[in-house]
Amino acid sequence: MTALALIRNLTVTYRRDGSEVAALRSVSLDIEAGERLAIIGESGSGKSTLALAIAGLLPGSAKIGGRIDWFLSSLGAKAPPSVLPDISPSRGEIGSFAVGSSPATLVIGEGGNKGAISPLEGEMSGRTEGGLIECRSQKSASKQSHIPRLGRDIGFVFQDPSASLDPVMTIGKQIAEVARTHLGLTWSQSYARAKGLLERVRLPDPDSALRAFPHQLSGGQKQRVAIAAAIAAGPKLLIADEATSALDTIVQAEIVALIRRLVTEDGMTLLFISHDIALAAELAERIAVFRHGQLVELGMTAQIVGAPAQPYTRALLDAHIGLDTRPLLNRARLRA
Amino acid sequence: MSPLRRFLRTPEAVAGAILLAALIAMALSASLLFPGDPQAITGPALLPPFQDWSLPLGTDRLGRDVLAELFHGARTSLAVGLAAAAAALVVGAVVGTLAGFAGGLVDEVLMRITDAFQTVPSFLLALAFVSVVGPSLGVVVIAIALGTWTGPARVARAEVLSIRERDYVAGARVIGMHPLAIAFREVLPNALPPVLAMSSVIVAAAILTEAALSFLGLGDPNRVTWGGMIAEGRAVLRTAPFLSIVPGIALVLTVLGVYLAGEGIVETTAVRRGLS
Amino acid sequence: MTLLAVSNLTKRYRRGNKTIAAVDDVSFHIDPGETLALAGPSGSGKSTIARLALRLIEPDDGRIDFEGGDFLALSGAALRARRARLQMVFQDPLAAFNPRATVARVLDDPLRIHGIASRGERPRRIAALLERVGLTADLAPRAIHEISGGQRQRVAIARAIATKPSLIVLDEAVSALDVSVRGEILELLLDLQRQEKIAYLFISHDLGVIRSVAHRVILLDAGRIAENGDARTVIDAPQSAIGKALVAAAPRLNRTGP
Repeated sequence: MTALALIRNLTVTYRRDGSEVAALRSVSLDIEAGERLAIIGESGSGKSTLALAIAGLLPGSAKIGGRIDWFLSSLGAKAPPSVLPDISPSRGEIGSFAVGSSPATLVIGEGGNKGAISPLEGEMSGRTEGGLIECRSQKSASKQSHIPRLGRDIGFVFQDPSASLDPVMTIGKQIAEVARTHLGLTWSQSYARAKGLLERVRLPDPDSALRAFPHQLSGGQKQRVAIAAAIAAGPKLLIADEATSALDTIVQAEIVALIRRLVTEDGMTLLFISHDIALAAELAERIAVFRHGQLVELGMTAQIVGAPAQPYTRALLDAHIGLDTRPLLNRARLRA
Repeated sequence: MSPLRRFLRTPEAVAGAILLAALIAMALSASLLFPGDPQAITGPALLPPFQDWSLPLGTDRLGRDVLAELFHGARTSLAVGLAAAAAALVVGAVVGTLAGFAGGLVDEVLMRITDAFQTVPSFLLALAFVSVVGPSLGVVVIAIALGTWTGPARVARAEVLSIRERDYVAGARVIGMHPLAIAFREVLPNALPPVLAMSSVIVAAAILTEAALSFLGLGDPNRVTWGGMIAEGRAVLRTAPFLSIVPGIALVLTVLGVYLAGEGIVETTAVRRGLS
Repeated sequence: MTLLAVSNLTKRYRRGNKTIAAVDDVSFHIDPGETLALAGPSGSGKSTIARLALRLIEPDDGRIDFEGGDFLALSGAALRARRARLQMVFQDPLAAFNPRATVARVLDDPLRIHGIASRGERPRRIAALLERVGLTADLAPRAIHEISGGQRQRVAIARAIATKPSLIVLDEAVSALDVSVRGEILELLLDLQRQEKIAYLFISHDLGVIRSVAHRVILLDAGRIAENGDARTVIDAPQSAIGKALVAAAPRLNRTGP
């Protein structure tokens, strides 16, 4: 397996009311290309901070230490727009060329330089507050490499689709805009791509959905649209941050199945952030358990679920109340 | 960063606060520095400023001390401005809360009354009210409040409409709290911040309205007011322009001070709410 | 004796020029000390039923009898007095309290409103309530937004039991909690039920939790009752289409090892 990103000693500190709160403490983790990795933990575990740090969405006030090395180029950079097939249901057709392994590295001073790990090159200036962020290509400059850009290289799906979709913009335009911005397509090409994406996320009647506004859709449909927008530019990495937590059980299962299908079809890497270990186990190949900002345990799903090494992982598994768990009611009755 | 420190870091806010502090100091020290009637004759008529250091800003047509009038006028401006704005905010918040919380017929009636007040220009309303009832300080305060309570009422109602649907209001009903207690203890305090944000604009407008009423001779005749001073000076505008200019500058600085300080407070509290 | 009897309950909403029945001719009853769960996908009407039963909204049709009296006939002071016996715990304990409140004020309100304890006696009652739900009395002066989510939900339960109710509506009361906290809160609820004979109307989308704590379950679909019966019997072998879909969608944890 080749790595997509190597996270080394990532530490994130928020300042709140004058005191500093560490959201992540020296986390080291490899994200392998094409894998489905679940990050699970309870509130305050730092799992969402990790997702935001990887996507470069941390607020400017966060203090960041450590480094994230990206190996995007080795997996094929985006083809120039001219060779892009307009709508391709299977990503295999999208032209890609490997340029060898020349990792783009983001180095952030360990000494607590203020500044965000921001793959969003364009937004860097507004976020860095004089901090030192160094972009380094480890091989020769002639080889292509880049810091990932949100939207183009990383797709992000948030928990609340109502908050992540623009309420006064049509569904079609929101998706088309992503394709246009990152792939350099014309508006009509972008709309054609948006329609294809709505078909791929199985939104009923994609033609009228293109012209619909978010409030006309149900929660599950909105999340499908948010996923379509997230994958519109064909990202390498899809991050789903509690993307199914606000949905009911049936819709949640549908969205999980959709994410699994899209990730498989496009060969994307999936980072699935969840508080639900059972849900994560159904989708992910590997699970990383977080607690209090630290990585507690990392392993293959079967190992984490079947033979956890850490007591905390076991406690999380024991706390799960499934359809085959012995009812609390009976236990209470026995004790009474 | 504490709100006070953030406030002090904003230059406009600090300038506003200094102006406002100067105004308050003038109002408070008026009877200490200038005991006795400010409308008493103290020197020759129409003495220009900076001639006689016992009368630094000179005298008006009747030989009254302009500086003493200015200090006592600050009292009137401040008292009327604050009282009228407070009355408008209280009436507006109560009406808006009742309308938003009760809904239905109560809402309809209260909001149509609000509409009725809003369709009449507020200055006209104040003018008519004072001409009918007769000029006195209390009447001027009520007259100004009559035209300004509608803004706070609308803002309060809009805020209450959104707060009314929150779980904690349902929670208060579930424990059997009286609807009026819910409206005024649970909902109103949380609806206040955007209403209070309007206070600087309302105070500034009230001070200007009071000056305009006095200028037209509808202020309290027993008190010195800046509007009245400007009106007085108008007759001798060519020969003694300072009689109009001095209170005019005071008025401008006061309104500016109130506005800047108010904006500063709103901004610092907004940042704090945004962070939490 | 039946504690709560709901018959032919109907609530319609107008959306544009269409009328949608959020709750459509629903009847059920709850016995003292029993847990009845309402489950179903979002939009099935389970939360609407909870709010109708509490009279936070009024039904278009139907009848609600609570503790042997016509609950819908009550109004004003009589309704507010009766509310002491019928309480609620919300999903998000932060949203369920006035953002400016302290723990003490939240617990003081019901004691004061229903005249349960005199002003001088209330601090002691508040301390006792906090201890009853597994918290310590020194939490009383803290602001609601300062304490943890689990502590907040315990305070919400303390507030609900302050007036000695016979029925508590739990509207997704454990759904927003961390799994480790959720187990403790469920244990607390079961313990209170055993000791005080409190009945629960347990609204949840989580069949695993319902199966674990409820006596009976009603599965709802589009405002109607699709299936109802013993919680474990229904969930272990659902007969209705929605029951089968809900069970199939529940995530399963296969702990047999690699």
